[in-house]
Amino acid sequence: MLFQIDFKAGKPVYLQLVDQVRYAAASGVLRPGEPLPGIRPLAEELRVNRNTIAKAYAELESQGIIETLPGKGCFLRANHSPFTKVVRDKLLLKEIDEAVVMAHHLQIDRGAFLEMVQERLDYFERKSGGSGDESSPKTTPRRTQ
Amino acid sequence: MKESQSAIEIRDLTRRYGKLEAVHSLSLTVRAGCCYGFFGRNGAGKTTTIKCLLNLLRPQSGTVRVFGFDPQRDEVAVKSRLAYVPDAVAFYPWMTVSDTLDYFASFRAHWNRDIENDLLKRFGLDRNQKATSMSKGQKTQLALITAVCPEPELLVLDEPTSGLDPIVRREFIETVIGAYQSGDPGNRTVFVSTHLISEFEGLIDEFTVIEQGRNLLTMNADDARERFKKISVRFGAAPAPLALPGALQIKQNGRSAEILANGNSEQLMAELRARHPEDLRCESLSLEEIFVASKTLTQSGK
Repeated sequence: MLFQIDFKAGKPVYLQLVDQVRYAAASGVLRPGEPLPGIRPLAEELRVNRNTIAKAYAELESQGIIETLPGKGCFLRANHSPFTKVVRDKLLLKEIDEAVVMAHHLQIDRGAFLEMVQERLDYFERKSGGSGDESSPKTTPRRTQ
Repeated sequence: MKESQSAIEIRDLTRRYGKLEAVHSLSLTVRAGCCYGFFGRNGAGKTTTIKCLLNLLRPQSGTVRVFGFDPQRDEVAVKSRLAYVPDAVAFYPWMTVSDTLDYFASFRAHWNRDIENDLLKRFGLDRNQKATSMSKGQKTQLALITAVCPEPELLVLDEPTSGLDPIVRREFIETVIGAYQSGDPGNRTVFVSTHLISEFEGLIDEFTVIEQGRNLLTMNADDARERFKKISVRFGAAPAPLALPGALQIKQNGRSAEILANGNSEQLMAELRARHPEDLRCESLSLEEIFVASKTLTQSGK
């Protein structure tokens, strides 16, 4: 199964799906041009409301990550950032700030933090450049606040 | 279906049985196209409320509207738009599965034979089997088929999965999502009363907890999970009893404690973090946990 829902994560279910598709795209589990699961089969499999999946896909489409081809379904887009560089930087800064705050609370110092960032960058690069045989369900790492 | 049209609109519904007040001044609104959970303990007034929707009971005061129609005055208009699966299903014992389906179809303007065939196959039901020899699970499956085939705008489910085995329950929910909901999503409303909440968790958009006939809590499911959280904390040494103003509930046990938060988990987490715990985690309450704790949640939530 590509996606997993955690009702205890405190994050709306549709946003969990959005995050997981973005993660799958960044890590090469899903490649440009590849189809996403259909709304109905995915809803049945995860046993969530059909509208939840539709909402997640609509959100992904508005973010430019997937596109819908009428009658064919949803596909991962090749070049999926519709945002300008300024907006992209801003979006990323917000996420980085969160991680920095978290690192502070967990008493992880600058060196160790930067090392981890490097390690993760390498990891994603290896995966998306690699053979793509990574079939294990990779979900976004669970946040322990 | 327009946004403004609600599938169900209940205002100040009251219904007594003799001296016993089963439903007291209950109000709730179910938007069209949404899946609405109606949670309550046995005897909370769920079935009484549902019977008022179906004109099986008449309200003693208050109003009930289904797609704007009064079930008492416009019974046909209401019943042609909804289908109902009760908790205990009963069919005429001399009829076979096929007879039963034809009988139900004869009352309907529309009946989707493709769905009928699909679901019979999926559930492994034999068209020639008689209702008397069917198990409880099979009868519920048959009832679900009779409810889904007319493709109604509203599906009313009253404790549909109680007493069924896990596989039948799972198939039941998948059918509601797949065969029913996917048909015409904007026009498919589900109103489900249940106390087996965890199984319906992913399906529920909004819910009401009913307690002794009163509306105790009505919320959007995502909002509820975001608001009500459980914080687990463990310290290196047993601390003095935790004083956390703003916590809904604190259960302390030696070095560990469990704290219920109502929309203020960030603040409580920060206060706890300042005490340098060994372990600190926070998770949302599931809808089932929210139901179980709903009295606590609503008492101190004000």
